[in-house]
Amino acid sequence: MEKVLLKNIDNPNSADIGEYRKAGGYRSLAKALQMQPADIVEEVKKSGIRGRGGAGFPTAMKWNFAMADPKFPKYLICNADEGEPGTFKDRPILEKNPHLLIEGMVISGYALGAEYGYIYLRGEYPAAKDILEGAIEQAYKENFLGDDILGKGVRFRLSVHQGAGAYICGEETALIESIEGKKGQPRTKPPFPVNVGAWSMPTIVNNVETLSNIPYIIEIGGEAYSAIGSSDCPGPKLYCVSGFVENPGVYELPMGTSLRDIIYKHAGGIKDNGKLKAVIPGGISTPVLPADAIDCAMDFVAMPKAGSMLGSGAVIVMDESVCMVRVTYRAMKFFEHESCGKCTPCREGTDWLRKILERIEHGKGREGDINLLSDVAGVMSGRTFCPLGDGAAGVVTGMIKHFRSEFEEHIRDKQCKFRN
Amino acid sequence: MITLTINEKEITLDKPMSVLDAARKAGIKIPTLCHHEALKPYGGCRLCVVEVERMPKLQNSCTLMAADGMVVRTESEEISRTRRGILEFLLINHPLDCPYCDKAGECELQDLVNRYGPTTGRYTEEKRKVPESHKDHILARNMERCVVCTRCVRMCNDVQGASAISVIGRGNRSRVEPFSSESFNCEYCGNCLTVCPVGAILSRLYIHSFRPWQLDREVETVCPYCGVGCSLVVQVRDDSIKRVIPRMDLGVNRGLLCSRGRFGYEYIHSEDRLRTPLVRKDGTLQQATWSEALDIVAAKLTAVKNAEGGASIAGIASPRCTNEDNYVFQRFMRTACGTNNIDSVSRTGFAAAQKYFEDLLGQGITANLLDGLKNSETILVLGDDPAAVNPVLGLSIREAARRGAGVIVVGYAKGLDKFRTLQVIPRVFREAEVLEEVLTGVFSDRGVRGDMPYVDKGIRELSDRISGKKTGIEGIDETVKKLLQSASTSIVLGMDIVQRSDGHRALFAVAGLTYLLEARLYLLSGRPNEQGLIDAGCVPDMLPGGRPVNVPDFRGKFEAVWKAAVPDREGLTLLEIIEGAGKGNIKALYVMGDNPVRNIPHSSFVKEALRSLDFLVVQDIFLSETAEMADVVLPALGWTEKSGTYTNLERRIQLLRKAVETSSGMEDWRILSELSRRMGVPASYSGPEDVMRELARVSPLHRDLTYGEIAAGDALWPYHGEPLRGEMYEVPEMPDGAKDYNADFYLAVDKPLFHSGTLSRRSRALMKICPEATVRIGAAGAAKLGLKEGDKVRLSTPAGSCEAPVSVDGTIMDNRVFLSGNFTGSGVYDLMNFSIDKITKAPGTEGCEVKIEKIQGRG
Repeated sequence: MEKVLLKNIDNPNSADIGEYRKAGGYRSLAKALQMQPADIVEEVKKSGIRGRGGAGFPTAMKWNFAMADPKFPKYLICNADEGEPGTFKDRPILEKNPHLLIEGMVISGYALGAEYGYIYLRGEYPAAKDILEGAIEQAYKENFLGDDILGKGVRFRLSVHQGAGAYICGEETALIESIEGKKGQPRTKPPFPVNVGAWSMPTIVNNVETLSNIPYIIEIGGEAYSAIGSSDCPGPKLYCVSGFVENPGVYELPMGTSLRDIIYKHAGGIKDNGKLKAVIPGGISTPVLPADAIDCAMDFVAMPKAGSMLGSGAVIVMDESVCMVRVTYRAMKFFEHESCGKCTPCREGTDWLRKILERIEHGKGREGDINLLSDVAGVMSGRTFCPLGDGAAGVVTGMIKHFRSEFEEHIRDKQCKFRN
Repeated sequence: MITLTINEKEITLDKPMSVLDAARKAGIKIPTLCHHEALKPYGGCRLCVVEVERMPKLQNSCTLMAADGMVVRTESEEISRTRRGILEFLLINHPLDCPYCDKAGECELQDLVNRYGPTTGRYTEEKRKVPESHKDHILARNMERCVVCTRCVRMCNDVQGASAISVIGRGNRSRVEPFSSESFNCEYCGNCLTVCPVGAILSRLYIHSFRPWQLDREVETVCPYCGVGCSLVVQVRDDSIKRVIPRMDLGVNRGLLCSRGRFGYEYIHSEDRLRTPLVRKDGTLQQATWSEALDIVAAKLTAVKNAEGGASIAGIASPRCTNEDNYVFQRFMRTACGTNNIDSVSRTGFAAAQKYFEDLLGQGITANLLDGLKNSETILVLGDDPAAVNPVLGLSIREAARRGAGVIVVGYAKGLDKFRTLQVIPRVFREAEVLEEVLTGVFSDRGVRGDMPYVDKGIRELSDRISGKKTGIEGIDETVKKLLQSASTSIVLGMDIVQRSDGHRALFAVAGLTYLLEARLYLLSGRPNEQGLIDAGCVPDMLPGGRPVNVPDFRGKFEAVWKAAVPDREGLTLLEIIEGAGKGNIKALYVMGDNPVRNIPHSSFVKEALRSLDFLVVQDIFLSETAEMADVVLPALGWTEKSGTYTNLERRIQLLRKAVETSSGMEDWRILSELSRRMGVPASYSGPEDVMRELARVSPLHRDLTYGEIAAGDALWPYHGEPLRGEMYEVPEMPDGAKDYNADFYLAVDKPLFHSGTLSRRSRALMKICPEATVRIGAAGAAKLGLKEGDKVRLSTPAGSCEAPVSVDGTIMDNRVFLSGNFTGSGVYDLMNFSIDKITKAPGTEGCEVKIEKIQGRG
């Protein structure tokens, strides 16, 4: 497959507007500005693209909701708060191919009638901030951003808003609160941001990867795009593979590539000829899969059937040397730290789960602890304000489901056998 | 119409609401800790989960909107299990210190755990530790008990608008803290206390002093502080007020209170309360029996009346006394003493303005419901800070602003700084010219209205006179534009503007705007019964119900009931009485429940005048500065010690109920009744309700009004009465032009949020919040004098001098310095003299030049 998102990425100056244009950049924008906004949305609809942030919501449907709302101004926000542990797929776009994102945002803004855009950037990506801001300045200079883009009377202004390191701000309503200058905590939905978003105006929040697909959809047309990858959620997909593989990294592959192929064919298999134990396929919030469950297509439709989720496409690979109790404990430490504190089950549940897991891992587990973990996760599951708490509960439930014996051994032996 | 089924019960809703609210409406209780009727849905606690048919998982009912055809169950095995689980979560870090937590017995968490469990805990890890904070004088915070429902924060931000507290930290380290760190720097409304479901925020006034189940009684009554007339509930144990709380469903305030109303009740139990009558013997006040004191007063007043005539006697009534007290007071003065010289300190503002507006535009022009403010499109605020003078009225303005209303402030209103949309700053003491220019602007667009030819004529003449003369002050044109665009306008008038020697100029402009824009007019009222005392007849020109005393037909009706003659000439107004005393024309003065020495400008002049009297009687609950000068002092009963009614600034009549028995004083009306009998004009009543019965019989305004109706909250203007038309058929001539005030500094009256004067100074809590008077000065003025926050200064004027610390206020842009009149020894009126506005008879206090000197060494 021809590289779309990571095109030109090996060029050391790929972030420069000149290099980007040499490789054909901003041609899609010129083409899009010849089109009617509704036709652009139609192409996006035909492409069948689904949001790459994790939930896989059809992008054109989200756009249509926002466009149906008569309120103006509308805001377009790029969610670049890539905080899901294991995820680093947007980073190469932000750092190496920023103009692709900018081009995608300008086209989307034009299509949506949004004249103001924000890139909500992860606080821990300081390098990306400088690169993005540099690219935005270049784009303004060359009239790809501004009040009269390419002389077509189209306005789109774009700026970078840097987060302060809260995972919850990747959730779109918390992200909007943060942009408004408030504490990052999710809002009640409905109303959805497409109707009542930033400053109560219709707001479209799309992931970096989603927006970066837009120029290509315009270039080759929605129909041609829909032929790439899985038929019900097509397009190129960035998979970021980490953990015990020979070649960790970001891989641009057709959507629906099998998890086995991602690990063994593209990432070079298990490191040092080790044996695969488990895979977390879509970032820490997605349920773990045991080694025998990796023959599944990595897309939004097939993964739930396989017992997990595509999530952000962050494949975390673990071999036989990894203690699953420790993984669970580390994950819970993350969730506890990142819980925003708004709702009871997440605020208190993550704290309690972490304490129990910490105890088990340190050889102080007790009989009944596994049931207690399941119970606590059970109360959390489906009861939290936003998916953060659900994800936390899912990690525990999934780990106990597939690796119960390891938990039992820890409690029985009063120690972790994986520790030296 | 939405029809849904909750627990097999079909419920029809006339407007969209959440499932939780729909259930409540149908009498079905769904447990919650974060939801509160005064606040927007939050969805944090997750206790209000319900089952909804065709929805996959349990739904949060406070954030789920009711939809047609929905089938909801609020209790089931799974729901109970979930609630038990959530409650267990809430308890894992909770200290479980119910045995010594003051909330126990009225704790929502305790009640829910009692109902849903769990009975035992499975949590064996270490609990979160957050030290309890007692750094604040009033509010104690125990964040271990906090359930992070954020009701307090939302109340503070979204309703009170003070934005003083916030959740800091994240996740399970979340806790509520004031931005000012340990102690609070806020409006001390205490509304956070009302909504806290647990013992996380408690009032230190009652902490560890009682258990909710040990209360002897709860009594619904009305606040004694300002003219808003908030309803509140007084909780009593052993004849001692333990706590004052609001009720969400009660009164004009619907669950909100301000610092004075919530924390200012302690004065009733003050050590300083008068216990017995005092009679001056050998130059000092000495204890006396009631009969001794009453006999002396009756004999002395009779003697003065016989020797000098009734016109040499005067009475000062009280806007803190009830309608019943005031009604009997004027009856006593008019019949037993034979004088119409009856007025009150309300003449320094409210009564003066109220009379002007009613004379011009007709009775009831200022009787507007507070709800009208919330729903206004534009609110014009003049004269004072509503959020300080009438705090709960101020909240209505804040709410309107939040809904998108334009709030235009002419002058300063610090409490609205975050809410106003426009500020117009007149030249010092020259508000009238700004208002006249606004009126002219509106008139030139709208033209005459035609209902009231003399008002139209007055506006036209004014417009002709000032046409072309623009002040050039920023914001006037914008104000005119906004007012012309507004479909619903309210004008909120503070009394500072009235206190000008040409105050009636501004009043005419306000009246003109009210008339042309058909605006609602609200008069800020710093005392609880200013309107009531006017309606009860404690004014020199009107009998009860606003009937002119010089019309024989009206007078005759009252004389028939009172079986005594009423003098036919209008009496003297407040300042005329004081001047009359100074000149020797007034020989005897009867003061009920007020302190003219402190509450009228130029204290030394007032004192001098009172010293010239032959006889001064003061009836009060404290030995005020005025009482100290009296020949006889009679101890009265205070708020919560007696029943009666107050009329608030909306002109709503509300019932005050007796709650405690603490003092040996007598009701004001009963003292007067006793004296009247002794003076040969019997006026006896079985109780306050009997007084109201008589008032309802004689006053056409109060016709047929009963305590039953008042208690039910139905006593809204115009009751069953008939309002009168305006009495003024020509607009009084107005002086033109104005002086420039170019001295370095001028003194102006400050009206602080935390104080009222005599009462608030004897409330320990309010004294802790605000222990002393401060001189509020603008940043430029402070810089000019090299003053820093807290520096002590001496203020001197021709009338007097005082010392107080400085508070630098960056929002003051002119050369005024503000001092309140609430503290002995540093009262603003000690330093001011006045000239009387010929039309309104209010004191003009403008142009008081003041010298400010820094006192070396910080005070």
